[in-house]
Amino acid sequence: MNFEARASRDHVALIDLTPMIDVVFLLIVFFMTTAQFASMSKERLELPKQQGETAGSPEAAIVVNLRASGELIVSGETITLERLLRRVAADIAKAGSADQLDLLVRADRGASAAILNDLADGLADRGVATWRLATERPAGSAP
Amino acid sequence: MRFAGSDNAKMRQIGRLQMASMIDVVFLLLIYFMLTTTLDPPESELTPALTSSKPGTPTALQPQTIEHERSGDIDAFRVGQRVLADRDSLAAVLAELPKDSGVIVRAPDTVSVDWPAAAIQAARDAGFDKVTYVPSRD
Repeated sequence: MNFEARASRDHVALIDLTPMIDVVFLLIVFFMTTAQFASMSKERLELPKQQGETAGSPEAAIVVNLRASGELIVSGETITLERLLRRVAADIAKAGSADQLDLLVRADRGASAAILNDLADGLADRGVATWRLATERPAGSAP
Repeated sequence: MRFAGSDNAKMRQIGRLQMASMIDVVFLLLIYFMLTTTLDPPESELTPALTSSKPGTPTALQPQTIEHERSGDIDAFRVGQRVLADRDSLAAVLAELPKDSGVIVRAPDTVSVDWPAAAIQAARDAGFDKVTYVPSRD
């Protein structure tokens, strides 16, 4: 009779894995809920470091990214100002009013304001009364 | 007497469940999420109004105007005759001004996007509800 070996097997079988699995699942749920999946509409830019007025809303009808080099990117595609303004005009026509246009400009802080000015003029000419300018909250600032 | 289906038999059956593979998968998922998570800095927004810089829009009100002034190496702000080197000084000066008529930010082509963003933020911080972005082509 081998009592010691049997006792050892019983001891191993008693290791309780449940709390560890619970913790691991909780960690997975945490990472899944906090992960911000890369959005096609958002370029990696260094935005102006300002507190802003409102928290950035995740979606806008048109998200215009302005790189420091001056390139305009919409939905991951480089676009000319003329083409962008044509798309704006089409969206206004579809919505029925320029007031309905939801346009977010994400401009690199180092980009020239000349392109922003061209865009502002183009939008104003089409009756757009307001736009949203994305900023990056400085580290440690209150939301 | 307890034969098949006894508690001991059930316990042995449960004890044979292969937990190792499930734990492997769970840990792999955990590592995947830990590696692929990117912490984007929180974004906020400024919402200035747009007005055409072209003439033909007369108004009875005289809004305050923030203009660009090159002061040494820095892009400063000019409000009337006062030149202010940074956003906080600008906000302090704007806070003393009447708010009803709003404020216009005139951004020249020569500055970077940082300048109008700071001017708009200063106006908001000073309590102006109506902030208008006007391209300056002078």
